[in-house]
Amino acid sequence: MRTAFTSSAELLELVAADGRPLPEWMVAREAFMTGRDEAAIRDEIARRLTITRTALARGFKEPQRSLSGLTDGAAARLHALAEPPVRDELWNRALAYAVAINEVSACGGRIVAFPTAGSSGIVPGLLWAWRDEREGDLSATSPRLQDAVAVAGAVGAVIAARATLSGAAGGCQAECGAAAAMGAGALAWLSSGDPSRVFNAAALSLKNSLGLACDPVAGLVEVPCVKRNAFLAGNALVALTLDSAGILSAVPFDEVVSAMKAIGDMMSPQLKESAEGGLAMTPTGLRVKAAMEAGFPDAPRS
Amino acid sequence: MSAPALFDVIGPVMIGPSSSHTAGVARICFLARKAFGERPEKARVTFHGSLAATWRGHGSDKAAFAGLLGLHPEDERLSFARELAAREGLVVDIVADKEGGAHLHPNTLRVELEAGGRKLSISGCSIGGGAVRVENVNGFPASISGELDAVLVRHRDRPGVIAGVTGILAEAGVNIATAASRRNQKGDEALLVVELDGVPPGSALAEIRALPEVLAAVHLPSVVS
Repeated sequence: MRTAFTSSAELLELVAADGRPLPEWMVAREAFMTGRDEAAIRDEIARRLTITRTALARGFKEPQRSLSGLTDGAAARLHALAEPPVRDELWNRALAYAVAINEVSACGGRIVAFPTAGSSGIVPGLLWAWRDEREGDLSATSPRLQDAVAVAGAVGAVIAARATLSGAAGGCQAECGAAAAMGAGALAWLSSGDPSRVFNAAALSLKNSLGLACDPVAGLVEVPCVKRNAFLAGNALVALTLDSAGILSAVPFDEVVSAMKAIGDMMSPQLKESAEGGLAMTPTGLRVKAAMEAGFPDAPRS
Repeated sequence: MSAPALFDVIGPVMIGPSSSHTAGVARICFLARKAFGERPEKARVTFHGSLAATWRGHGSDKAAFAGLLGLHPEDERLSFARELAAREGLVVDIVADKEGGAHLHPNTLRVELEAGGRKLSISGCSIGGGAVRVENVNGFPASISGELDAVLVRHRDRPGVIAGVTGILAEAGVNIATAASRRNQKGDEALLVVELDGVPPGSALAEIRALPEVLAAVHLPSVVS
């Protein structure tokens, strides 16, 4: 089996030549690359999906509070909002779910790096919101939900091949930006089953997060990361909406990813996870840093 | 670069908040504990670079305690590993070396373990997304990712030792993915690292330990579930 690709164009050619749908081909590729059978790959996808659902439930049930106090149960408040100003349940769930999962990550809970810990709420938040709002019969063991994960993985794999999925190497465009593109692609698959729409939705989403800095306060994966999971889940839903209307990205996905790489290379190291620029260097950011260096003397102790 | 595998993009399963500062540290300390083979009486973990600056906020200390307790990097008990260690009487000295280590990878840590006069020192770095590389074992350069099961063999630098080890693994039907041997100087002590495509049976480990010129052999399990 030919498993190597460095662009979505190449990937889609391989998939077309093979004849199986994109996610099935991705699962077969994983089985081939790791010497396991396809059922084992699907079981592992199901296990990872279940871990994200457990984190999601925990984020609502046990409002998360971090040692720094920067994470303080925002998901639970978001979920309890009685009259959300935007009245769409898919939208509202996606935002709350993304934050819930990422708050659990920020507070030392068990999550799946999706593709990283700092962006771990976006894709599963979108998938579970879709499930709860649109297809309530789906579960972690449903091939359809597993397919959506495989499609998200295909989008992420192209970004990793042409650019990076590391904030230290490419800024937050490579973490939350990449996650949103993955999520937009996964939802485009669920709503259309069309692989070209996957990469159109991903291109639309990624274009809108190019240049995003990774400037976390005190180097902690909390500010702006946790709330950004909600914003970028929203970004993915906007991309999905545009794609559903047949609006095409003028710049194709592979070129957008190359642009992301070029921008990442141009970005100062101060804006790439070093906590030496941007929000990290604001008076507030520096205060949190000083508190951390003193061992968070004001933090509640368990 | 060609596109990575699916579970390299969607994964690892880990304990938050940071793949490089929590998951990576848990993995390196887990590998150190497995390489040591028993619970240390004394342990010291030194964080360099970016780890030295942010270890408190990222729970890197808890990750270190968890790894040294032998908890798998996916184990949720990581979040109260300090308390578990206290209950088990495991004392770990956490040192943040902010000044030194400028020449090292920004996420480097050094783990020193001691029990009954035996000592182990391991250095490794967390290279992103939870991936790690153990770069030094007791002064011997190495390159261990922890992705695969591995066998570490400390031996005297004499003809036939490596052939003996690989022969036993072949007999056991375990494929060798990578192999590297380093020695201090000719005829002196050497370290053989063999990464495998499967779990080596305990009987193979026992046979390797019984080989002439072999001083010690341990199985390093994969950190990936």
